Amino acid sequence: MGKVVLQDAYNKSKVALQKTSLGAKIRISFLIVALILPFLPFVSDYILHIAILIFLYMILSLGLNIVPGFNGLLDLGYVGFYGIGAYTSGLLTYHFGLSYWLIIPFAFINGAIWGILLGAPTLRLTGDYFAIVTFGFSELVVLFLTNEIWLTRGPLGLPGIDVVSIDLTLFGGPKWEFIGELPYYYLAIAMVLVTLFVMNRIQDSRLGRAWFAIRDDEVAAVSCGINLLAYKVIAFAISAAFGAVGGSFFARWVTFLSPDMFKFWESFLILCMIVLGGMGNIWGVMIGAVVLVSMSEVLRELLPLLGLPVEGRFLAFGLIMVLMMRYRPAGILPIPAVAAQMRAGRVKRKKVKPVVGMTK
Amino acid sequence: MTPILEIKKLFKSFGGLEALKDINFNIDRGEIIGLIGPNGAGKTTLFNCVAGIEKPTGGQIVFTNGGNTVSIGGKKPEAVTALGIARTFQNIRLFDNLTVLDNVKIGRHCRTKSTFFGAVVRNKFQRSEEKAITETANQFLEFVGLKGRGQEIAASMPYGNQRRLEIARALATEPHLLMLDEPAAGMNTQESRDLMALIRRIRDKGITILLIEHDMKVVMGVCERVVVINHGEWLTEGEPQDVQNDPKVIEAYLGTGAADAA
Repeated sequence: MGKVVLQDAYNKSKVALQKTSLGAKIRISFLIVALILPFLPFVSDYILHIAILIFLYMILSLGLNIVPGFNGLLDLGYVGFYGIGAYTSGLLTYHFGLSYWLIIPFAFINGAIWGILLGAPTLRLTGDYFAIVTFGFSELVVLFLTNEIWLTRGPLGLPGIDVVSIDLTLFGGPKWEFIGELPYYYLAIAMVLVTLFVMNRIQDSRLGRAWFAIRDDEVAAVSCGINLLAYKVIAFAISAAFGAVGGSFFARWVTFLSPDMFKFWESFLILCMIVLGGMGNIWGVMIGAVVLVSMSEVLRELLPLLGLPVEGRFLAFGLIMVLMMRYRPAGILPIPAVAAQMRAGRVKRKKVKPVVGMTK
Repeated sequence: MTPILEIKKLFKSFGGLEALKDINFNIDRGEIIGLIGPNGAGKTTLFNCVAGIEKPTGGQIVFTNGGNTVSIGGKKPEAVTALGIARTFQNIRLFDNLTVLDNVKIGRHCRTKSTFFGAVVRNKFQRSEEKAITETANQFLEFVGLKGRGQEIAASMPYGNQRRLEIARALATEPHLLMLDEPAAGMNTQESRDLMALIRRIRDKGITILLIEHDMKVVMGVCERVVVINHGEWLTEGEPQDVQNDPKVIEAYLGTGAADAA
C-alpha cells in the first residue's frame, strides 16, 4: 500500500518536473545553489560578502531597469536615490534606533516620493536632456551629503549604525542581532526574491504594458490613451523606491556610510550591469549584476599580482562594454523579441522615427 | 442628426508655413468619408490636429457623441482617445518588440483601470480585468483576421498583417470615430480588396470612418463621400464619382494642362 502511494507521488513529481520549462528549472537550481552556498566547505566569509554584494546590486539593477529597460529613458542619477535611502536609513537608526523592518517600507515610500519630486518636473524633457538632469541630481545628493555636516557629518562619514536585528523583547521573546555575513546573506536573498516577484508581476500587467508601449513608440502610446508623463513618473518613482530600499539594506549591512560611496561611478556601474545583461530583461539584468560584481572582485585580486594598479579594473569594464556593444549590443540575455530576431539572423536596426509635434 | 465631428475654420501653421487654412467640413455618424489631396496638402496635419498630437492655431473641432458635445481642438491625445477617437499611422507605428496580442492589449489601456497595486497584489478586480482584456483583445484580432497569431512578435509579421494589427489596436480603444491614415499604402490588389471589406465591416459595427488614401480604387470603392484639400485649403467635397471628374481636383493632382485636356 505504502509502496503504491510512494510510486504515485514519484510519478506526480515526474510529471510536474516535465511540465516546468527549461528556464524555470535553471532558475530553481540557481536558487537552490544560492540557498545552500554558505554551507559548502570552501565558502568563506569573504565569498559570502561578495555574494551579498551581488544580491544588493541585483536589487539595484532590477530597480534601475524600470527606467531605461522598460521605459527607454536614460537615467544617470540612480545612485542619488540609493544614497538618499542609505543615509535616511542610517540616520533614522543612528538617532532613533528605528527597526529595520519599519525602515524598509518607509524607505520604499521615501524613495518613491523623491522619485516623484525629481520626475514630475523633469520627465517632460526628452532623451539626453533628461539624462543630464538625473546626472545633476545625483551630484547634488553627493554635495548635500558632503556639505551638510550638521546632519550627515560630511566627509567624516556616518559610523556606528546598528546592525539589523529581530527584536521580540516586546512579546517577551529574545532579541537576535545579525552578526557576521550569514544572516545578511539570507536577508539579501529574500529581498532579491521580493524584488523579482514585483518585477515579474509588473511585467505582465497593464502598468508594464503601458511602459513597454512608451519604450517602443511614444506617439503610438498616447494614441492608445496612455498618459506619458504620468506613467513615466510612476516608473521613475518605483525605480527610485527600489534604489532607496537597496540603500537601506546597504546602510544596515556595512554600518558605515560616507558620501563618496554614492559617486556617479556607482550609477554608471549599475547602468553597465543592465546594458551588459540585457536591457529590459529582468533575468539578464541579474546576470549583469553577477558578472560585473564578481569580475570587479576578481580583478581587484588579480591586477596587483600582475603589477598593475587596482583602478585598472575600470579600464577593463570599459573594454568589456566596447566589445559588448560591438558584438552583442542587446546584452547577454536580450528581451524575447530581440532574441527572436537575432535567431532569425536579422540585424536589429533601430528605426528612426520622427517624433512629430511631441513638444508637450 | 448632429454630425459626429465638425471641423470649423481650422487653421494650423508651423512658423511661416500655413499647413491648414480655413478648413470646414462635417462628418456624419456612420459614414465612411475619404480625405484626399496631393502630397503635402495637409491631410496628415489635419489628422494630427483631430487626434490631439498637433495643437490647431485657430478654429474649432467639435466631437459629438451620445448627446455629449466636446470641443477637442488642443486637447491632449490620450484624452481624445478616451473620448472615442482612434487612429492609425501613415508609417506603421506598432510596438515592435511586443507580441501581437500585447499590442492589442495596450489598445485596451484607456478602457481599463488597474495600476501598480493591482499588478503586484493581483486582487480579484485586477484578475478579472486582465481576463477581460485578453478576451477582448483576442476578439479584435479575430475580427481583423489575425486569429491565432497573437504570440508572434509584431515587427516580424508581414506588412499587410501589420496594417491589420494597427487597425485592431485602434479598434481596441472602442472608438466611435476611426481615422485611418493611408491604410492601403503598399498593398497589392488582393490585400486592398480585403482591406475594403474590413473597413465596411468596421462601419457595420457602427463606427464612423475617416480615411486618408491615395489609392483611388480604394477611395472609390469604399467611401460614400470625399473631401478634397489642396495646399491646406478646402477644395471641394461630394460623391466620389463627382469629385473624381471635378476639373478643380484634376488640376490639383495633375496640373492646369491636364484639366484642360480632360
